[in-house]
Amino acid sequence: MSYLSAEKAESELAQSIKKATSIEETAPKQKHVRKCIVYTWDHRTSAIIWNILKVQPVLSDEVQTFKSLITVHKIIKDGHPNVIKDALRETGWLETCARSVSGEGVRGYGTLIRQYVDLLLHKLQYHRGHPEFNGTFDYEEYISLKNIDDPNEGFETINDLMVLQDRIDRFQKVVFASFRMHSNNECRIASLVPLVEESYGIYKFITSMLRAMHKRTDAADALQPLRQKFNTQHYNLLKFYYECSNLRYLTSLIKVPNLSPDPPSLIDAATPTLP
Amino acid sequence: MSGKGVVRSIKNYAKGFSDVQIKVREATSNDAWGPSGTLMNEIAQATYNQQDFVEVMDMVDRRLNDKGKNWRHVFKALLLLDYCIHVGSENVVLYAKENLYVVKTLKEFQHIDDSGKDVGSNGKICALFGSTLMKKATCIIVTQLSSLIHTVRQKAKDITSLLMDDARLKEERHKRTQMRDRMSAVGDY
Repeated sequence: MSYLSAEKAESELAQSIKKATSIEETAPKQKHVRKCIVYTWDHRTSAIIWNILKVQPVLSDEVQTFKSLITVHKIIKDGHPNVIKDALRETGWLETCARSVSGEGVRGYGTLIRQYVDLLLHKLQYHRGHPEFNGTFDYEEYISLKNIDDPNEGFETINDLMVLQDRIDRFQKVVFASFRMHSNNECRIASLVPLVEESYGIYKFITSMLRAMHKRTDAADALQPLRQKFNTQHYNLLKFYYECSNLRYLTSLIKVPNLSPDPPSLIDAATPTLP
Repeated sequence: MSGKGVVRSIKNYAKGFSDVQIKVREATSNDAWGPSGTLMNEIAQATYNQQDFVEVMDMVDRRLNDKGKNWRHVFKALLLLDYCIHVGSENVVLYAKENLYVVKTLKEFQHIDDSGKDVGSNGKICALFGSTLMKKATCIIVTQLSSLIHTVRQKAKDITSLLMDDARLKEERHKRTQMRDRMSAVGDY
C-alpha cells in the first residue's frame, strides 16, 4: 500500500537506487535495497528500476557495478514475482555489466563481476524453465504434489535445482578467494548474504521434495543418484555456512543457518522437520 | 507529558489526525517504553469499524516504513500489528497477508545506534526500554512479555511465519477470543 504520488514514489526510488549503488566500497545499505523491494510489491513492476539503473553511471566504476549486481540479486529474490519476468528481458544489461570491466579491473572486482553475472543469468534461466518457483524458492506443497504425479518431471526439477546449487557454491568460493588483506572486505561479503539465504531456500526445497518423492514412489533405487548428490551438497553447504559463521560482519547482518553435521534422512518417516 | 509528547500533540493538531490515528501514533512513539495493553486493545477494537480500520492500517504502514533512527516506531508498529492480528478484525489479517512483504522485508532491518549496537538484531528488551521497564511494568502487556525479548528482525520473522500458517493463526485468534470471554465472565454469577 503506497500513499505517495507516482512521481514522488519514483524520485524516492531513484534516490534509493543511487544510494544502494554508491561509489563507496561498502555493502549496499539494506534500507535502500528494502525501499526498492517494497516498491516492486506496491507497483507490481520493476521496469522503472531497470531504467534508473541504466541511466546511472554505475558501469563506469567496478564497485558500483558490483553493488548494482548485489542490489539486483536481492530485488529478484525478494521482490514481486513480476520482477523475474522483467529481469528476463534485461539479461542484456547484465551482460553489459560483465563486459564493463576488463581483466581483474583496477580494484580487483573483474572476476567477481563476471562470475556474479554468470550466476544471475543461470538463476534467471532456471526461473524461465520453472515459472512455478518464486525468487526465494519457498517450498510450496502444490509444487511438490504437482511434480510427484510425474516422477520424471520431479526428477528433472530437482536435478536442475541441484545444478543451480552447485553454481552458487562455485561462486561463493570465488568470493572467498577474492578477499584482500588489510581490508574489511565488507562489499565482497555483502554478496554472500543473498547467497546464504538462497542456498538455504534451495536446500530446504530439495529436502522436502526428495522426502515427498520417497514417500510416493517405491523406486528408491531410481532416486539413488539424487540421494548421493544431496549428501554431497549437504557437506558443501555445511562448509560454506561454517566459513560464513566466522565472518563477524556477515553474522551481524543475518543468522547463518545451522545444518546438522550429517545429511538428514530422506526416507525415514520420522524425519525431523527442517528449522 | 514530556517534551517529545508536547511536540507530538502539536503535530497531531497541525496535521489534523483523527482520534484513532493519534492513538496509533501514541502506541508507536519513540518513547522508551512499550505500548500499553489498554491502548493496543482500543486500537484493535477500532479495526472493526471500516473507516477507523483504514486509518489504523495507513498509520501502521507509515510507521513500519520509518527509517532506522526511528527504529522504535518500527518495532512498536510490529508489536501493534501482531496484537491486532490476534484480536483485531478479520480485515487486519487480510490486509497483513496482502502486504506481507512490508513485514517480511524487515527481517534484515539494521540500525546502529550511537553506542554502536545494532538494534536490529541483538540486545534485550531491557536495553530497549531502559529501566523504565520496571517503572512502567504495568504498561506492558504481560501476555506478550515473553515475546518482548525480541527485536525488529525477530519480530518480523515471527509475524511472517504466523501469517503464513493459517491453521496456527486461526487457533491463536480463537484462543484470544476465548480468553477474553473468560475474563469478561469473571464476576458474572
